[in-house]
Amino acid sequence: MKRDRFYKRLFEIIPGLLTWLTLGSLFILAFIKPLWVAIFVITFDLYWVARISYLTTLLIFAYRKLEKEKKTDWLKRCQLLGTIDGLGYENIYHAVLFPVYKEGIDILTSSISALIDSNYPKNKMIVVLSAEERAGQETRDNVAALKERYKKDFFKFIITRHPDNLPGEVKVKGANATWGAQELKKFLDSEKINYEHVIISCFDADTCSEKEYFGCLAYHYITNPQRMRSSYQPIPVYNNNIWQARSIARILELGSSFMQMIETMRMEKFVTFSSHSMSFKTLVDVGYWPVDMISDDSVIYWKCFLYFDGDYSVIPMYVTVSMDVATERGIIPTVIKQYKQKRRWAWGVENFPYVMMGFLENKNIPLTKKIRRGFNLLENHYTWAVWAIIITFIAPLPLIFGGGLFRETAIGYNLPSISAALFRISLFTIFVCMFISIRLLPPRPKEIKPKKMLIMVIQWALAPLVAALLGSTPAVDAQTRLMLGRYMQFHVTEKRRTRSAQHK
Amino acid sequence: MNKSDAVKRAVAFYFFVALFFISLPITLSYSLGYHIDYHELKIYKTGIIYISTQPSGASIYINGKRHTDLTPAQIEELRPGTYRIEVRRKGFYPWAKDLIVRPNMVTKADRIVLFPTTLEITRISKHEASDFVISNKNYIYYLTRSGLFRSNIDGSNLKALLAYSNWPKDIINKKFSPDGDKFLYFNKWTIDAVYLNLDKDLTLGHESARVEEVLASSDPIIDAFWHSRSGYIIVFTESDIKVVELLGGGKRNIVSLYKFNRMPRGIYYDESADSLYFTDFEREADGKEMSYVYRLDLRQTFFDSLMQLLLKKEAEAGYEKR
Repeated sequence: MKRDRFYKRLFEIIPGLLTWLTLGSLFILAFIKPLWVAIFVITFDLYWVARISYLTTLLIFAYRKLEKEKKTDWLKRCQLLGTIDGLGYENIYHAVLFPVYKEGIDILTSSISALIDSNYPKNKMIVVLSAEERAGQETRDNVAALKERYKKDFFKFIITRHPDNLPGEVKVKGANATWGAQELKKFLDSEKINYEHVIISCFDADTCSEKEYFGCLAYHYITNPQRMRSSYQPIPVYNNNIWQARSIARILELGSSFMQMIETMRMEKFVTFSSHSMSFKTLVDVGYWPVDMISDDSVIYWKCFLYFDGDYSVIPMYVTVSMDVATERGIIPTVIKQYKQKRRWAWGVENFPYVMMGFLENKNIPLTKKIRRGFNLLENHYTWAVWAIIITFIAPLPLIFGGGLFRETAIGYNLPSISAALFRISLFTIFVCMFISIRLLPPRPKEIKPKKMLIMVIQWALAPLVAALLGSTPAVDAQTRLMLGRYMQFHVTEKRRTRSAQHK
Repeated sequence: MNKSDAVKRAVAFYFFVALFFISLPITLSYSLGYHIDYHELKIYKTGIIYISTQPSGASIYINGKRHTDLTPAQIEELRPGTYRIEVRRKGFYPWAKDLIVRPNMVTKADRIVLFPTTLEITRISKHEASDFVISNKNYIYYLTRSGLFRSNIDGSNLKALLAYSNWPKDIINKKFSPDGDKFLYFNKWTIDAVYLNLDKDLTLGHESARVEEVLASSDPIIDAFWHSRSGYIIVFTESDIKVVELLGGGKRNIVSLYKFNRMPRGIYYDESADSLYFTDFEREADGKEMSYVYRLDLRQTFFDSLMQLLLKKEAEAGYEKR
């Protein structure tokens, strides 16, 4: 037990320590060995250009797949499939679970309306609204009103109240989701529905699924021989209020969408993120979502990965689910809100100690797989925390602190021009992002002036600034907190829409 | 991910990995100042010369051979050694220098000013002027035989300030006060102050300036400086350092702050810190005279208390005499 605590703390410390060692040593070396830092900076800049060029290529591939599959009538394909392993779309149930905190009724209405609008039989859909008890009477009234309004539209509409302070739980979304899933289990048991025939989708309260989402999900579920050993990941886009959001928030959220699109092309690293789906049987077998961790969306993947001895994967689905951009009226409040949201995402670094502890316990996962996945996980968080700081803040340090003699060396003289040249090369990625972002935009609402379209294009000029400000700092913050044992509490990103963004 | 996606991804991955590993040594060697000779398959160290001129656009000649770029230019891949660099531009005097190129280093010849061959000289004053002073308020004051005049810095808006013509011929220097309201000029024996911006109604001749002799020294004057408060003049004579107070009516306060053992060789007044620096001789224990540099702090607080002390002593002495 003591040994476990030691290892857990060690794995909590490693990511932050690596990050701080890197940044600290580069800072110190900029004074005493500016030549070394200059060589490192050029190497890193070049590596970064190669990396983002590669990732942009993957983004283009993913976008093309998304465009291609957008036209697919997935329900029809399900109908044509017939039955595989006793599974056909007729005997599959979709359970859609919304953990609810204080999200307004307008937000939930949009999400449920999207289910109603979906191209899938509603009599095969079960909606679960799991409201946090601590959210208060208003939330309880809202979910009750929604049940009253929509219960006839679905096979079953369950509302439940997640009690506060249950033993072993902390105030995280995963605890509420687990409660909701357990309530669903009671219902399925009462109806004697086979868990293997139920696909559960855990959606954020503001998640509006695309029309073809459930058909696509059912198709992948039926055709996947490893259906119980897979999660199903749509592409999250932030279109609900994108026309009304601040540019800075739009760029960040689009960046997140693009990263998810890229990840669909890197299946060996692919992990569930935000709204996702899986077999209900698998969920029950692994013991639901974690009730004491913030990053429930990715931890559930690792939980399954460990449970199935590394034989678990995430299947990408080229359909979108749309959520709200975390935005505010002012620029500073928007930056703060985005910073907090990204820090919460970066808190996914808590997966590293969780996974490593799991690897120590599990003797059935091949060592090479453990090393590869452990390295990937660490490298992802490490790179997230250092890249923008190295490119923006470390790169000029040799020139600032290197002294006159360093500035007279060829490398001291060439460093700014080479960095600038590499930066210019990397700008092509911004053009690709600009193009894809325009293509992914939902139709412009009537009340939005046409000139806003121009802003949607020129907003990308802010990308370098946004990257410098919010590219790495939330990750450094999260890793430092974990390293120091100052564990984060779940902070719900408040979703608020302007009137024009409601009921689209 | 289907097979074709996997192939496309693998191709992209290895392409960018290869691109990184190929471009890294090239970029680093270029950055460090190495040149790869692909014919001889040799790497050698080079240096860089950077030249910038004002005005830009001048032709560069390296060892007599014209370089393709105009200034500002970065001439790269030069083998270490000495190069004769010439910069030429029509209408300007040429610039030439032998520059040493060191391996992996940059030799900078930047901010070279090219002076035009035909200079444009403009006469500013419309009247004869024996001397002039330029204020920190961008005015030119003309000391003429018909009086003191003032114009803008370009000579426009000429105004007569004072009908005074008794300017000494042997003026050593002229200095404006920090507040810009007066200037002093001095020769070997006297210091005069010219007060500007006066209220015309309060002057006898209804003039906006006035000249006043502020010191007639028995010792030759070396230099004079304005104290930052503009109300005092610090005067170096061959025998002492004096402070002359300009403000107030009645007898002018003149204090001898320090008596030199010998005439100073070097003097300097730091106006920003109101500190005097000067050399003086001191007799050592062995009887030898040695010269040292001294500093006298005349900052506001020190100066005020010193003046108060001196004036108090003077008053007490006067009272005792009575």
